[in-house]
Amino acid sequence: MAFHRSIRSRRGRRKINTVMELQLTSMMDVLVIILVFLLKSYATSNNNFSTVPGLQMPISNSLENPTDSLYVIITPEGVTFENERILDFVQTAAGAGSADATYSFKKTDVDEGGRRIVPLYDALVKAREKAELLRAKSTARDAQGQPLPFEGILAIQADKRVQYDTVRRIMYTAGAAGYKVFRFLAKKQDS
Amino acid sequence: MLKRPSSRRKSKHQEVVLNLVPILDAMVTLIGFLLFTMSILNVVSIESPLPQMSAQDVEQKLKEKPLQLTVSFRKDEIEIWSPFDRIQAKKIPNVSPGQPDVKALHEALIVIKQQFTGETKIVVAPEGSTSYDVLISSMDAMRTLEPTDPPIFVKNPQTGIDQPLKVLFPDVIFGNLLGDA
Repeated sequence: MAFHRSIRSRRGRRKINTVMELQLTSMMDVLVIILVFLLKSYATSNNNFSTVPGLQMPISNSLENPTDSLYVIITPEGVTFENERILDFVQTAAGAGSADATYSFKKTDVDEGGRRIVPLYDALVKAREKAELLRAKSTARDAQGQPLPFEGILAIQADKRVQYDTVRRIMYTAGAAGYKVFRFLAKKQDS
Repeated sequence: MLKRPSSRRKSKHQEVVLNLVPILDAMVTLIGFLLFTMSILNVVSIESPLPQMSAQDVEQKLKEKPLQLTVSFRKDEIEIWSPFDRIQAKKIPNVSPGQPDVKALHEALIVIKQQFTGETKIVVAPEGSTSYDVLISSMDAMRTLEPTDPPIFVKNPQTGIDQPLKVLFPDVIFGNLLGDA
């Protein structure tokens, strides 16, 4: 028996010396499955909202998935509109390092009794005009043959520590710039 | 006479090996791109229209006296009331300063919804210092009906069959955009 075993082991050793080729077929299978899954997920996600580092979003049990629209991000540090920093808040001494956000607007950034945020208003008007121009140039028309009207939807993505007073100013400014609908974004509650 | 052997027998079968490496490269690049661009964050939204009012609307409201259910947030309490006195005002004390009792608010709104099943609008007047987190949780309490809530049935005008409502007051409108009264 021992004699037979030694011959078998010698034959096996000889086989190892042959050139080894990496089998890529199984790896291809895995990658194709991942690719199909990602493409499917990509097709179902109909928004392109990005976020800023350090943003703590609140959790909501709403079931509505937001569609793509113009969006503003509010953090205790400042306001960002369409990935462009619009303004920075003034941080008060009490707010430095504390859990509660303590910040205020620069006096030069607001007008109309502190209700309207001037840099944001300018950015919102510019974005609206751009959207209207694109719609005027587009071939898509309504029943009367007119260009499609500006939807005026603004998504608000705010940090959970941000106060309503700030959100109110943002809404007032957006209303003055011709935006009629607000979408408050939140993280989906795990079911 | 011997026949000439078939030429097929002589030809060497060359095994064609498909070069999968460039396809793999393309796939890895595509997967990287998709992972980078797709939104992993699961985001939901709560929609609210900008309040708009005309003189005609005010006249109409004064005639009809609608419910106009309003929730006012204060430092120590929240108040549910109607400017046209269609319901008895109710005050719910906060669980802690600036932290409303969202559960009690939800339960009180269910009772009102049982009386006014056709009403969908609710006016919110939060305090300036109310946090966005509290705002979202309060709006959730105002808008959605949980499966554990008592069912509210409404007769479908087309079929005549009673159907359970799935939402409470889904149309949230901010009533103090110009500032606190």
